[in-house]
Amino acid sequence: MKQNERRIVEGGDSPQQRKAGDGAKRAILALAGGAGLFVLGSIAFDLGILGDDGSHPTNSSERESDMAAAYFSPPAETSIPDGPDGDAIRRGMALFVNTKTNAADFVGNELSCASCHLDKGREPNSAPMWAAYVIYPKYRSKNKQINTMEDRLRGCFTYSMNGQDSPSGGPPPAGHPIYKDLQMYFHWLASGAPVGESLPGQGYPELEKTALGYDPQRGAQVYEQNCAACHGSNGQGQRDLNGKLVFPPLWGPNSYNWGAGMARVNTAASFIKANMPMGQGGTLTDQEAWDAAAFIDSQERPRDPRQTGSVADNAAANHGQDTYYGKIVEGRLLGTGTGR
Amino acid sequence: MNRIVPLAAVALGILAFATVLLVIAPAAQIRPLEGTPGLQPYTQQELRGREVYVEQGCVYCHSQQPRGPEQAPDAQRGWGRAAVASDYVYDRPHQLGTMRTGPDLLNVGARLPSRDWHLTHLYQPRAIFDWSIMPAYPYLFEVKPEAEPGDVVVALPKDDAPDQGVVVATQDAEDLVAYLLALDRTMPAGEDSVRDYGYESREPRE
Amino acid sequence: MTRPEEPSRPGENFEPYEEMRQIPIGVIMFAVALALWGGVLLYQSSYAVAVGRADETVLSPQSEQGLGLTGAKLFEANCTTCHQPGGEGVEFAIPPLDKSPFLAGGPEIAASILLRGIDGPIRVGDETFDGHMPSFASALDNAEIARLATYLQARFAGRKQAISGERVAALRREIADAGPFAGGQEIAARFDSSLSPQPEVKPLAGGMGISSGILELVNQGRGEVWSCSSCHGDRGQGADTVPRLAGLPADYIAKQLLDYTEGRRRNENMELVARSLSETEREGLGRYYASMRAASTARPSLGGNLERGRELVLSGDWSIGVPSCTSCHGPSAFGVTPGFPGLAAQHPSYTASQLAAWVSGERDNSRQKMMNVIANALNDRDRAAVADYLATLPPVPAPATTADEVKR
Repeated sequence: MKQNERRIVEGGDSPQQRKAGDGAKRAILALAGGAGLFVLGSIAFDLGILGDDGSHPTNSSERESDMAAAYFSPPAETSIPDGPDGDAIRRGMALFVNTKTNAADFVGNELSCASCHLDKGREPNSAPMWAAYVIYPKYRSKNKQINTMEDRLRGCFTYSMNGQDSPSGGPPPAGHPIYKDLQMYFHWLASGAPVGESLPGQGYPELEKTALGYDPQRGAQVYEQNCAACHGSNGQGQRDLNGKLVFPPLWGPNSYNWGAGMARVNTAASFIKANMPMGQGGTLTDQEAWDAAAFIDSQERPRDPRQTGSVADNAAANHGQDTYYGKIVEGRLLGTGTGR
Repeated sequence: MNRIVPLAAVALGILAFATVLLVIAPAAQIRPLEGTPGLQPYTQQELRGREVYVEQGCVYCHSQQPRGPEQAPDAQRGWGRAAVASDYVYDRPHQLGTMRTGPDLLNVGARLPSRDWHLTHLYQPRAIFDWSIMPAYPYLFEVKPEAEPGDVVVALPKDDAPDQGVVVATQDAEDLVAYLLALDRTMPAGEDSVRDYGYESREPRE
Repeated sequence: MTRPEEPSRPGENFEPYEEMRQIPIGVIMFAVALALWGGVLLYQSSYAVAVGRADETVLSPQSEQGLGLTGAKLFEANCTTCHQPGGEGVEFAIPPLDKSPFLAGGPEIAASILLRGIDGPIRVGDETFDGHMPSFASALDNAEIARLATYLQARFAGRKQAISGERVAALRREIADAGPFAGGQEIAARFDSSLSPQPEVKPLAGGMGISSGILELVNQGRGEVWSCSSCHGDRGQGADTVPRLAGLPADYIAKQLLDYTEGRRRNENMELVARSLSETEREGLGRYYASMRAASTARPSLGGNLERGRELVLSGDWSIGVPSCTSCHGPSAFGVTPGFPGLAAQHPSYTASQLAAWVSGERDNSRQKMMNVIANALNDRDRAAVADYLATLPPVPAPATTADEVKR
């Protein structure tokens, strides 16, 4: 009787019926099946079927990869080599960011190269040096000849750095080590860039003219709202407590002279649209960028070093459209210079 | 119940196992700890203030255990680094708390170092935060017609000040504030600090 | 009624029980899979503990500046933002170190200058600089100052004479309360008369021209509000989420106080205080804290990556549209009066909380939303990195107020 009851409750095979070796088989099956399940689970998890592993791409990394795809990327500063080449590259970089100190004899204002070529000449659309280096030598209509990089740099010292008011009275003479060091820096920045190609991000992206045209009076308002916090209402920039210039002056005796590219409204507007206010490039409307540029470039600044006769003669010879040089604004003839 | 011996043995075994893992091992890990470098023992006044903290039931709304970034954004809330075991060597019993109706207080002395602020806030939290839901503790203060020498007068905006006289802190209020100001575990945790980092990988996710 | 016979039905006293019955194979498989999963998690967790430990050691003060940084690395990290990587200085602003006579006179001069800072005019070569050098006493330890001074000697003056950490410790005790050197004049008088002539130092104002009303607000408070110093410390040094005020621009402080009353900046404690202040008091408090030099009490505390912080502060990350902090807040993050406050030696919890407040809009008083835009581009780790790096910098060398300036 008892035997009978037990069978009913058990329901399964009696132990006697099991074959030898069954346990081992089951163990192997269980281990293999378990491992298989685990692998399947991991794969499902990885593919996102089982849910989310929490790794969302962050905004910044997405943007980073976009940018990397669009623009050439110069080598990291930490990869400057040792040895004489590296020393020259470092000197070039120091010249670039601290031009007034390291080229004291040839700089007649308070700007440095990095004032307009942002991020030490690395930032796309602010005339990066890696893009400039690969398109020289070339013909320039400004002086109607083939220009080497050294020739181009001499132009920078003459106009943008206002060499005429420097202790030496002009740009560094031909073959000066300043040119060599700067070119070494540019050459290094352009490591791996294709020579002769116009790279994306080169120069300042040209800004289309607006229907309204540009107007210094409208520009004065744009300037006060968007530029004055850093460059000062008087356009003379700002210094830190040690007197080191933090924000560059935009006009007056310590800024670029009338011969500089930036003195042309279209160049300044393109720069402003793409890069200003710092860190918020592209936020001004095209109209605001044109007007702000018109306001800044209708202020007096050091004279054009090419001027030999009158302002009017020089305006006819060397100045074209989109400049206030030789024009009369608010009753004053512009282009006569600031004097020091 | 015809296998009482094995049953009892297994039950006791499980109990012993749990005791080893949940009581003995943690105790062995934590007992030898010294205080976090720079942590001072409480003074007599601070210990009295701690009694007030317990009596008033602060623990029902305030925790004293900032979490790490993998568990809660406490660092961003300004509550300080994740607490480690050695932060509590002078707290017997600790006031870890389980509720966060109010902010965590383990570092309140660092982020709100003003005694006068705490007195105002205890007298009437809504004098400072009009949205605060913390109860006021007016009975830790006295209203006197004039402050006597040695009295600590509570700074109060006109709306919250009594019509006449000045509000003066009792010894309990002063002690409690002394204790709150002593809650400062912003010193570095020390290299051999004991802390559960959880299972979540802290590898930066890009 | 008789029931049909049910032979298999157990008797009433039978107590059911179960004997060996095989666990279904699927359940075992599931258990094995779970065990594997657990094992993998445990393994990963042991890795996480190592990462967490490593994170935390970053927080310990010994390693914050990297114990054992060589003199060259210390120079690069602490001196180059002003004196430039080549030691050439900046025309009219920062004296050159290269061939500076102040470095030629033995490493003790350099160590003393590093410990005390300089406030006043100094002549180096043919040029005179009227500047302010911070004290590194609270930013570097004795061994670091010793290595740095030795390095400066060797590199810029070609002298191999070394100074020991013990000697720097002794110097530190000697000049603990001395404050900054009053220009090149005091340095020449103390160490080496061959450095003379040095430019005349303008007499300092006594009491900084601060009215007693302001001092009372700072130290005792007033009826309905607490004193400034009860939270911000007796030297305006701040702590944790309470900001350091010493050396911030006067106009900046006054503007923040105004902004609290007008809702552009939120903080209930400060709103209550600021509402009770008059315009004169706001300006007076600004002047009081602007001229204050206080040792740094800030230390990295958020576990931020200091290398990343240094990159963001000094060079920015243009790939995420963030210019360097120093491009607006000054080359050493000492601030640009009036709009850009100094950031150096600020407490990391405060810096990070403000960056978060720009994102949430709780703080909205930056011109052209400059800070909102920048803070939005940074993620949590970047914010911690920036805040921690700024805490390693020497404090703002607030210019001492001279008698002339008080009259003005």
